[in-house]
This record gives sequence, structure tokens and C-alpha cells, in this order.
Amino acid sequence: MNEVCFKNLTKDQCWSLKTYEDSGGYSVWRKILKGKFTSEQVIDELKLSGLRGRGGAGFPTGLKWSFMPRHSDGQKYVVCNSDEGEPGTCKDRDILRFNPHAVIEGMAIGGFVMNASVGYNYIRGEFMEPFKRFEGALEEAYKAGLLGQNINNSSINFDLYTHLGAGAYICGEETALLESIEGKKGQPRFKPPFPANVGLFGKPTTINNTESFASVPEILRCGGQWFADIGVENSGGCKLFSVSGHVTNPANFEVPMGISFKDLLEMAGGMRDGAKLKAVIPGGSSTPVLTAEIVMNMTMDYDGIEKAGSMLGAGSVIIMNESTCMVEVLTRLAHFYYDESCGQCTPCREGTGWLYRVLKRITDGNGRKGDIDLLLSVQNKIMGNTICALGDAAAMPVESFLRNFREEFEYYIKHRKSMVKG
Amino acid sequence: MTDIEIDINGNIVTAKAGEMLIVVTDRENISVPRFCYHKKLSVVSSCRICLVDVEGAIKPQPACSTPVVQGMKVQTQNVKTKNSQKSVMEFLLINHPLDCPICDQGGECELQDLAVEYGSDVSSFSEGKRIVTDSDIGVLIQTDMTRCIHCTRCVRFGVEIAGIMEMGGTGRGENLKIEPFLEQGIQSELSGNMIDICPVGALTSKPFKYELRSWQMNSISSIARHDLVGSNLFVQSYKGKVKRVVSADNDLVNEIWISDRDRFSYESLTHENRLLKPQIKVQGRWNQVSWEVALDYAIKGLNSHILKHQKADQLGGLVSNTATMEEFYLFKKILTEIGCDNIDYRLNVKNLDNTILLDSNIKLDALEKIDYALIIGTNIRLEQPMINHRLRKATKKGADIDVLNVMVFDFNYSLHTENIIAPNKIAFILAGVLKSIMINDGQELPDYLIAIDVDEIAKNIAYKMLNSDSSVIILGEHIINNVDASTIANLVAKIAKSANSRTLNLSITGNTIAANLVGCVPQNSGMNVNTMLASDMRGFILLDIYPQYNFHHLGAAIKAFEKDDTFVISLNSFKDDIVVGYSDVILPIASIYETSGTHLNINNDMQSYTAAVKAPNEVKPAWKVLKVMADLLELPGFNYEDSTQVLAEISYQSHVIHNHDIKDNLTSYHNGISVIWQNSPYSIDAVLRHSETLQETKIGQMNNAYMNQTSAKTLKVSVGDKYLGVLVIITDTVADDCVFINANQTTNIYGQV
Repeated sequence: MNEVCFKNLTKDQCWSLKTYEDSGGYSVWRKILKGKFTSEQVIDELKLSGLRGRGGAGFPTGLKWSFMPRHSDGQKYVVCNSDEGEPGTCKDRDILRFNPHAVIEGMAIGGFVMNASVGYNYIRGEFMEPFKRFEGALEEAYKAGLLGQNINNSSINFDLYTHLGAGAYICGEETALLESIEGKKGQPRFKPPFPANVGLFGKPTTINNTESFASVPEILRCGGQWFADIGVENSGGCKLFSVSGHVTNPANFEVPMGISFKDLLEMAGGMRDGAKLKAVIPGGSSTPVLTAEIVMNMTMDYDGIEKAGSMLGAGSVIIMNESTCMVEVLTRLAHFYYDESCGQCTPCREGTGWLYRVLKRITDGNGRKGDIDLLLSVQNKIMGNTICALGDAAAMPVESFLRNFREEFEYYIKHRKSMVKG
Repeated sequence: MTDIEIDINGNIVTAKAGEMLIVVTDRENISVPRFCYHKKLSVVSSCRICLVDVEGAIKPQPACSTPVVQGMKVQTQNVKTKNSQKSVMEFLLINHPLDCPICDQGGECELQDLAVEYGSDVSSFSEGKRIVTDSDIGVLIQTDMTRCIHCTRCVRFGVEIAGIMEMGGTGRGENLKIEPFLEQGIQSELSGNMIDICPVGALTSKPFKYELRSWQMNSISSIARHDLVGSNLFVQSYKGKVKRVVSADNDLVNEIWISDRDRFSYESLTHENRLLKPQIKVQGRWNQVSWEVALDYAIKGLNSHILKHQKADQLGGLVSNTATMEEFYLFKKILTEIGCDNIDYRLNVKNLDNTILLDSNIKLDALEKIDYALIIGTNIRLEQPMINHRLRKATKKGADIDVLNVMVFDFNYSLHTENIIAPNKIAFILAGVLKSIMINDGQELPDYLIAIDVDEIAKNIAYKMLNSDSSVIILGEHIINNVDASTIANLVAKIAKSANSRTLNLSITGNTIAANLVGCVPQNSGMNVNTMLASDMRGFILLDIYPQYNFHHLGAAIKAFEKDDTFVISLNSFKDDIVVGYSDVILPIASIYETSGTHLNINNDMQSYTAAVKAPNEVKPAWKVLKVMADLLELPGFNYEDSTQVLAEISYQSHVIHNHDIKDNLTSYHNGISVIWQNSPYSIDAVLRHSETLQETKIGQMNNAYMNQTSAKTLKVSVGDKYLGVLVIITDTVADDCVFINANQTTNIYGQV
């Protein structure tokens, strides 16, 4: 446990440059600066490591980097997505707080591989403490001569800037994030073209999640195979899981991929007050909810969670005990997506409000016969019909909540009160 | 792009690889609904109504943003497609008010049309609808943003076409609101196009508000008359009154855009100042009379003052730039037949020995493909908005534009350099450019260039001219009365020749290209306008002239017309005190859209149009009035039944009057302050001056004399004073030795400008 991003978690001043360097930090970057590590080697090691994008989509990082138009002329950018806003997710916040230098080193390496001399770390607007920590680390790194122009006479240039968001969930969508950095309203762009070709300020841009970048230095230091061996087939390495909800010790845990859900639950101190587990959202609020029976035999890796009927997402495990009213949970989630839809495309703009209003009337005791079918029909009209994934994120929980807990919804509509709470 | 074949609804069609599917379906006339997609705007793919079933894709794909690939199979009519389009319609109708009965867009609403085709009678949405507070965006566009479906066409229009982002989306989710960021209202000179592209009733024409339904109106295609482009448009009328003007499609001329002045100038047709009856002045008193009496009086007057005495050489014929090509021709023909060569249209030229002669030899649609332009002496964005739009498109593709102007103007694209040059120095800069190019080419310098200094500005322009593949030099109206006008024009022509560049002469206005082509300029021993004004004339025939706006030598003009024994026949559309003051006969003639005719644009495109409405009361089209006058004068060859017969008779030849050599006077600057009097963009002709809503806009209100501190000192004026009757603004954006006036009024002194 805690081998990569959280390696120094228990050390004093774990976010400082000294602590980071004492444990081997920046050794890969220094090798690169000395010309002893090529970008091909970086990509090969990353491919070997099995690292997959930690922001939720799970696309293999090594492959992504190899696709970039690295050798094209002109300015290119690397961007770190620290706009962590999915309900249930809080891992990137702690990486920025406790290991900011790993993000810096990872981004610098990314910049080197992609021939990008400028990087931006887009940090969620509410993350004031992580923002200050990261800025502090950036200052340390510049002072130590690890960033800037012609770093250590290597003729490598890399400048890194932080950009603080302003509180929109949609800016976590990579193209909305780029718009936001450009000073525009954060709205997703239509793709293609993809950021790899036309990204920030119209230039080729590599965007990765904070955890992905933070994992890169350690993977390169210890070897891709070492990382791959920590995890399981198709899910290399370890992963941060943010366990929240009705557990005794909600926290972030960096554990090997493939660990059983049971073990993860135990690490979090088990169910709070010994209550019975009812449901789990395994990957953040947009991933389908699972029932207790299913999760108890689930392993925490990409394939394991998919087999159970959901997605690993960003590794945000929301634990719910028997006292939870699933109708009210879904209503709250629907309100979140209703509130956060950017409004650009029709199905999401109009559909998220519709979903929320139907659910709200159910929880207000005004549900109607046919509302369940209506919810399913509306979510199906949103699903897959929008520019970005926010529409899908709003639609997916509706389908899974209704599939797994339909009787609670029927009860609420019929009796005008919660089946669980009475 | 390679040719590929795709299958749409079972039919094989050819397409270019990578084209968007909707481009292919549009070309094949296969109907795919759209709201956000617009062929002239960027693709955002946000409305999702164009979803179609593409084989192999689980979910339907948006046709506007799905590139076609070889072998693609598409169904635009099957159940899957229809269901997804129906879903989107249902979403759109959630918050769209069902106020079609009171919505001006009703009957021409893309949402309404699709709702009929795809919408359900009953919505399963039963919550309240969103209500949006409106912003007042000015006098031209009515907003009803509750109806907005957030297609963002107006937003993209601002960013991509008008060049200023005046509308934008604030808020998010269903609180997304399309509104202007500032409270000053929409200012663009092209703003009315937002009305045309808005698919619903969110943005409609304010002057047209609650007037009529689109299906009640007659729609006649016509040509815009206020610039050198001749934009294509539709004139829509009801019971003989023009109610609205909308743009028409012509990629070679105006694409699909028209300027605000072309769109809203129809309002003048019902202005209370319209001249509705012929009138004659008998013994100093005006009488409204019938056409027979008026024409009889006019012909008798001509006879008694001129023809009877064989004094046709003391008759003057002057035309403004607003007439049709046929009218210019008949006017000229009448004068020729009675033996008079005194004819001119160049009323605003100070010195006719110093005029601009310059060809225009670039097509409008080619302007957007140039890589370099040199603009001289024009506020092109407001003076020729449609030409400016083409240049803007060129800059978006990377073209560089240098400017030589007497004042800083507001461009809607970034300039390579903007040089503010005193009017009396412009010729010297251009001479420097020519010299630099000739030296570079190793040519022998002519005498007049030997002593010329080549400064940095000239060097820079010469460098750009020499290093561009397709460039154009644009000469504007502010040069007309420049002390070196003809020299400047000649230098431009020589530079263009040396640098293999094109030229565009925007120093002319309205329909004067037609006036020149049919010969409304003095030939043989005929007098030009300024000579006429200075001579002892026995009579004038004046076609649509309002001297205070038309003449450079205003005082001389009025004096010449007012003389007791001078018989003046005026043909006008609007009442005017000054015209009343000097005329003996005033004949009411049809205004725009009330007559058939032909407009000749800068590309010599001859665009004919028919009358969209009948002229009111006893008002007659000028070509008919001229024909009848010819008949009454018993002149042969005027047996026309309609204006197309006139047009058929016109043979085209350019009437170049003088050619000037570059003078040797490039050795020293002309001293003194130059005054450039430029009628403001919505005051250039009588029709615009009587378009009340346009006059209320910011452009319509432009009325200032701009000068810098030094000029103000020399002229002894300060802020708050009036110069030539126009309020003074002292600003260092004006060049030395220059007063630039943008006026929507006439000068208050009948003197020389």
C-alpha cells in the first residue's frame, strides 16, 4: 500500500522538495536533462507498466503519449487535469497536497516526450490549499533549477503554470478545460479535432489526470515491469481509491489494482456502526451503482468492476448502508448534473433538468404512475446524444438505480414516502 | 479531397472524403433538419437535431459533424433517425413557449416547421417553462429570449462574421442565456443578419414587429442600392407597401449577408416627407397640379428659356448617384437629342482637373483570397461593409492589411500596420512605395521619383507588395478631393502594375459606375458640373438631387439654380426646402423598390430588378417621366414600353474623360489644412436619410468634426465648438493638417467646404 503517489505520505513535510528528492524524486528528470533517458524509452516503459488514465476513461497512458504529434513543428502543450469535481472523488486533491513534486516531475517528463515547452496545471477552483501547495512546490522546483529555459544547460525548456478554475464541474471535461485556460467560457468543444492535434490555443496538447502524471516518475524510476507487477492483468500498478460514505474511516487508499472490495472496505474500517452494506457506487457518481451482493465478490480493477456491471472511473467508492434511500440519492445526483450541465447541447441542457424535476416530484410525494418509464425514456434520449460525456454521466446512474432498486422508486411513487425511511 | 461513394437511403451518391454528411445531403436535396448548423458559420454540433442513423454506429450521429468515408451507409428517414430527432424536438419544446400565434417568426420558423413534422401533440413534460428576461439590444432587433433554443448562431455570427462578439452565452445548463455582454446594444453594421439566421422568434426585426405574417407578403427579389456591391435581397410587401427586406443568396456578390442600411432603408418609402404630387411654381407661388399640367409647364419652360433660342448649350443636366442605369441612359439621351452636352454626375468633386481614374479589376469573391491589401483613404467597414467582410475573411486566412488613412477607424480585424497620414502626404508615401518597388526591380526611375524619400512606411508597404502572391490596393472616398487625388490614383495604378497587384476603386458611390458607362459625363464641348455652376445657365434638369448633400461647391450650386431667369426642373422622391427654393417644376419620382432598373456593381455585374411595389399616389418611376418628357419634346426613339427595352438599347463603353500624368509637383507638400467631408454611412443618400430607425442607431448618429490639437489651434476652435456646423472633437487619432467630418447633417453655411 502507498507505493507510488502516496509513497511519502507519512513523512514529515512530505510535500517538500527535500523529502521528494530524498526518496528518489527528480532522478528521472535529471537523467533526461543529462540525455540519459530518451522519449522512446519513456513511452516504452509506460506501455510496459500498464498505466491507464486515472481521470476515469482508463486509456493507456503510454499509448496516448505515443500517438501525439511529438515531432510536428510549432508550440505544443501538456496540460494536467486537476479539476477534480466528480462527487465522491478526492484523490487528486491529496496528491497535490502531499506529493506535488511528483505531478511537476511527471508533467516535465510529459513535456519532454511531447516536445512541449509549456505546461498548465488546471486546478479546481475550490482547491485553495492544494493550489497553494502546488504553487509552493513550483517555486521550489524553479529555484532548484529544475524548470525554466535551457534547464541545466540541457537545451530543454519547460515552463509550468497553474491555472485556477472557477467552480464548474464541466471544466473537468478536457476540451472545456482548454477553453477555460484560454479565458473563454468552459464549454466542451466538438471533437474531432481532438486536443492531440488541435488543443490549447489551437496547438497539439496532451492532457492527463493528476494521478497519471504523478505516477510517471516512480514508474520510470522503478521500471514499467515493476509497476505492472503490482497490479493485475490489464490493470497495471496501484491506484488511489477514495472511499467515502458509511464507513468507519473514509479516506484515500493507494492499493494494488485487483485488491478485493472486501479488503478495501476493511482498510476503511468496515461499515460504520456495523450497519449492513446496501449499495456501492464504485467509480464516482456517474458510474452505475452496484448492490451489496455483487460488490462483495468484486475485485477493484478495470475488468473486475466492469464484470460486476460498473466502471472503475476515477476510483471513487461511495459506500451506502441500509438506511440509505436510493430515491433521494438519485435525486441528489440528478440535481448535481442539472446544476452542472453547461447548457450547450440540447439533450443535456433540457434533459438533466427534466430528470431532476421528475425525481424531485417523486421525493416531494407527488410522483406519478409512469414516472419510472418517463425517467428511463428521458435518460435514454440523453445517453450518447451529447457532445461530451456529461450527458452520459447524468443518464447512467438513472438507469442503474432504477434497474437495481426499482421497487424503492415504485414504493415512493405509490406511498408518497420513502420505503427506507418511512 | 478524393471522390468517394456513400449510400444515403439506399441511393449511391458521390462525395468528397472528409466532407460533413450534412453538406452532402444538402447538395443532394435530402432533407436533414438543423438548428445550430449554418453553412456560413462554424460547426458546433450542439442542437443535435441532425442526428441520423449511420450503419455501424450504435447511436445516431450528427450529420453536421460526421465526416463521410467511403462506403458509409446512412439512413435519414428510418425509425432510428426519426426517433432520435423526435427526442431532440421534445427536449427543445420543453422550454420553448407555445406562443406561435403571437410570434413574428410564425410561418417562417424552422422550429415550428419541424414541430409540425416531428413534434408530438402531447408532451410528457408537464413542469413549468423557463422564462427569460429580455435585454434591449437596440432599435433594429427585437429580442424574445424566452423563445431562444440556444443554437448560438447569433453568437457565432458576431464572432465569425461581424467581427465583434456582441452576443454571448451567460449562465449554464438551462440557465444558459444568450444576451449581449454590454448594455450598449448591438452596434454592428451587419447586425440585422442575426434576424435572418435566428431559426426561431428570439431575434426578429424591430421595425417589422407585429406587422404581418410572412405568408401574407409578396416577396420580390431585388438589389440593394446603397453601396458598390449590389447585395441581393428580397423585398417583401403587403398591399403595395414594403414591409420588410431580407437577404438573398448569391455567393459571388453578398453570400447571404446584407448590411443594416440595405435591410432597413425601406422605411423611408412611407416617410411623411415623400413627394406625392407634381408641383409647379407660377409667379413665385407653388401649385400642386396634375402630371399633364406639370409636364406641359416643364416642356414650355424648356422651350421658352432654351430651345426656342437655340441655347441648348446653356442647359445643364445633373444626376445624383441614386438613379438606375436606364434612367441615366434616358437622361443622357434626351440631352443629346436636344443638342446639349452639359451633363455630369460628379457633383461632389472639388476640382475636376484632379480626379481619380482607377480601374477595379478584382472580383468580390476573389477579395477573400488575397494575401495582402493596402487600404487608402476609407473607413471601409462602415462605408463598404460587404467588401470589408470579404477582406475580413481574407485576414482570417492570414492576409496582412496595411492602412493609409487620415484617421484611426474601427476595423473588425487586426491590421498589419495602421498608418495615419496627413492628406497632403499620402501621395508622397505612395511615391516612396513605387520608388522602392522600382529600385528593387532594377527599373530606371522617372524624374518625379528621383527626389522622393522612401520612408519606413513606404519601405514596409513595398516589401509586402513585392512578397505577396495576390494583393490588392483599395482606394477610398476620402481621397476624392485630396489635393493630389489624380496623382494618388495614378501612383496606385503604377504600383499595382509593377507589383502585379489588383486595384479596387471605392472612391465612387452608389450607381455611378452605371452613370459613367452610359455617358453621363460631358463629351465634346460639354461643360462639367463645376463649369456649369460657374456659368450663366438658362436652365437645369436635376435628377434626384439634394444640393446640400450632393455638391462639393454647394454655395455655387444653389446660386446657379436660384438665378431668376434659370428654369429648373427637379425630379425628386422627397420634399426638400432647398429644392423648393430654386425649382420651377418638381416632379415626384419613384424611390427604391418602386421602379424597375439596373444596378452596376464594382465588378460590372449588371443586376436588374423589377419594381417590388407600385409608387404611391401620383408618383411615377423616373424612367417613365423621362420617356414622357422626351415624347412631349417630340424627340425620336423613345418608344419604350418597359425599362428592359431601354436596357437592351444601352451599349457599354467606359467614358474616360481625362487622363492625368503624374505631376512634377511631388517636390513639395501642399500646405494648409484639408477638410474631408464624408456623409456618415446612414446619410449618403435621401433614402437613408429618411430611414428613421437607422437614424436612431449609433452609426446613424455619427456627426462630428475630428481634428487634432494642432489643427484645432490653427483653426481656432476648441471642444464644444462647431466647425462648418458640426460639433468638434479634438483627438490625436487624426493626422496633422486634416479635419475629418462624418456628418449626418448638411453644413450650416452655404459655403465652400
